Amino acid sequence: MSRRIAIVEDDAAIRENVADTLRRQGYDATTHADRKSALAAFRARLPDLAIVDIGLGDEPDGGFTLVRELRALSETLPIIFLTARDSDLDLVSGLRLGADDYLTKTISMPHLLARIAALFRRVDVLRSPPKSEEAIERGPLRLDLKRMTATWRGTPVDLTLTEFWMVHALVKYPGHVKNRDQLMSEANLVVDDGTITSHIKRIRKKFLAADGAFEAIDTVYGMGYRWIEAPGAA
Amino acid sequence: MERPAGHTGATPAAARAGLSIRTRALLVSLVLLAIPFVGYGYVREMERVLQAAQEQAVIGTARAVATALHDRPRLLDRRVDPVAGDAGYPRGTTVAATQEIELIIRGLRRSGSRIWVIDQDRRLLVLEGSLRQDAKPAVEPDLWDRIQGTVLGPLFALLLERPREDFEDALPEDVLSGGRAVDNALTGVPATRWRETADKRAVILAAAHPIWNGPEVIGAVVVEETTNRVLSLRNRAFEQLLTTTLGVFVLGALVLFLFATRISRRLTRLRDEAEHAIDARGRVHRAFRAERDRDEIGDLSRSFATVLDRLADYNDYLERMADRLSHELRTPIAVVSSSLDNLRIGPAPAGSQVYIQRAEEGVRRLNAILTRMSEARRLAETLKGTERERFDLGRVVAGCVAGYVAAFPQYRFELRLPKAPVELEGAPDLVAQLLDKLVDNARDFCAPGEPIEIAVDVEWDWARLAVSNVGPALPDAMAGQIFESMVSVRPAGGGAERPRGEPHLGLGLFIARLIAEFHGGKAIARNRPDGRGVVVEVLMPLAGAALPAPPAPR
Repeated sequence: MSRRIAIVEDDAAIRENVADTLRRQGYDATTHADRKSALAAFRARLPDLAIVDIGLGDEPDGGFTLVRELRALSETLPIIFLTARDSDLDLVSGLRLGADDYLTKTISMPHLLARIAALFRRVDVLRSPPKSEEAIERGPLRLDLKRMTATWRGTPVDLTLTEFWMVHALVKYPGHVKNRDQLMSEANLVVDDGTITSHIKRIRKKFLAADGAFEAIDTVYGMGYRWIEAPGAA
Repeated sequence: MERPAGHTGATPAAARAGLSIRTRALLVSLVLLAIPFVGYGYVREMERVLQAAQEQAVIGTARAVATALHDRPRLLDRRVDPVAGDAGYPRGTTVAATQEIELIIRGLRRSGSRIWVIDQDRRLLVLEGSLRQDAKPAVEPDLWDRIQGTVLGPLFALLLERPREDFEDALPEDVLSGGRAVDNALTGVPATRWRETADKRAVILAAAHPIWNGPEVIGAVVVEETTNRVLSLRNRAFEQLLTTTLGVFVLGALVLFLFATRISRRLTRLRDEAEHAIDARGRVHRAFRAERDRDEIGDLSRSFATVLDRLADYNDYLERMADRLSHELRTPIAVVSSSLDNLRIGPAPAGSQVYIQRAEEGVRRLNAILTRMSEARRLAETLKGTERERFDLGRVVAGCVAGYVAAFPQYRFELRLPKAPVELEGAPDLVAQLLDKLVDNARDFCAPGEPIEIAVDVEWDWARLAVSNVGPALPDAMAGQIFESMVSVRPAGGGAERPRGEPHLGLGLFIARLIAEFHGGKAIARNRPDGRGVVVEVLMPLAGAALPAPPAPR
């Protein structure tokens, strides 16, 4: 059974292009041009994944409303924002509403497909009972590569897909400096330097919420970031 | 042409040459000085009236004395007394007659007047009274009088002729013998005469009246008075007039001066505010405070505020233009790139791959442009939420330069750092981004083979980060503008010279400026002193510059 992906996007060309790409990959893509028809369809039957634009027709924030309603219908449904809006504020509010990822429309189709595949993998792993686990452990950090979840000293740290991939890129070779371009390609992202910086900041904040003494991500000015093995935890 | 960039545009103070409003107001107030002149005319008129009255009074007195002596030849006839002394002084048997005349005169005389009686032969029979005024009882001058006397006394002494009581009052011979008034009186005609005393210290008014004995003139009465009384009256009036008008003048000038000062101060403030509202780079600050006064200056100030607001709105619009453009273009580009992706993935006609690749390259560049265009706006957003921390500028710069050396082997970097740490309060990430932009800019203009010099030093409470390169000089006109959004001094078609193939929008230094301003500093670009290139400097205040003592560790 192929997976159903719903695309809610008011621009017909983009909608159909994304749908074509997904269909070519064997997904079952359904398209909706506005919030009402999308919501009606979701009420009738939930898709396996939803790609939502923020501005929908004459509703500038229709995507946000739709995701809120969609979250009320299902707590586990993977949701991706795909939008032209790239302000930090939109990104934060999108993720706070429970979206799993926030992408700007500059993303290439292969990158989009990689993310969709990753999200589906995570859903599958979460559904099935844990078997032989594929995980990375670095001191107090434990990355579950299947579920794409992270724990710090046993406390789960709620990372988005982008953030998980960045952390993964850093911890793969602790001590090695990863520059912004490398982090971008690891996270299947094309954004500017400032966005990488704010992603790193958000990641730090999430770890700090789990452990006030967290300082494993080190900034190497002018070059990038690296993961430091916490000396106390060794 | 050698003036440093960034310091242009200040209005020279020389524009204020010429007469200030205050000076003009003072000149206008000089009109008030006309009042004393008009008053002076009136005082003169009053003096004439008083003199006429005095004349009438003196004539009256002379007539009265003469009338009392009419038809009493016995009193005047000295011929009956051959023993009459020299110079006509009454003697001997005429003593009684003299006493009687004196009695009559004393009953009629006025203070300050001298009355003499002469007979037909111009012999003086009686001389009674003195021309000198009785000394007035000294009045204790009050404070006002004293002030007036001290301040204006010298002026009055200069302007006014003081009546004097020390004049020569002897009867000159010519008066007795040849005075016209006396001549007239002795021929039967009353007459008056003004004459100066011999020492010219006073003017004496003399009225002569004949004494009749039937149809025959037997003598004359001469009443003399000085004009001192009128003079002092005139002086008093004039002093009061002068005091009052000078007071009014001083008060009026003072009020006018204060008023002009207030106006000129408001205008100066308005000018300063208007000047400061737009900085050397032509950027409008919203700090212009419009006045509330409901007069013309307040009006002018408000209209300035409106104009500046509109200008600021327009500037905002321009600054946001890049961002909006990038947002609007993003969707159509997404259409193109997703279409290309689909083309590439799906079955494509033979030979089309190369075109797809070219189109993708074009889209990639468009995307890079869009990302840069919205970078400034995103940075502004980032700045809002950035937490400040203490960091060592030297360490950040050293790290960045190590990165540049690795990333750009074709360039030579020379780094100069102070030995002591340079502590700043702010965001090290942002400072690294700032340095990226400065170095990016330097790389674009650096002449091949020449080093890019990066220096950090401390000057007073400021840290200076300077990036300097050898290359073309800044055009003078652009010096203040290159830190603006979308301003670039790169030659047209300069992209061809750039091997990196990245588009340039003139946003790099704009971002550098935003970050410098976030740290409370500023960015300045100017030509190097040696004229061989350009140095871009960023000045930022040291951490705790205002609070020198760092918090004590617990």
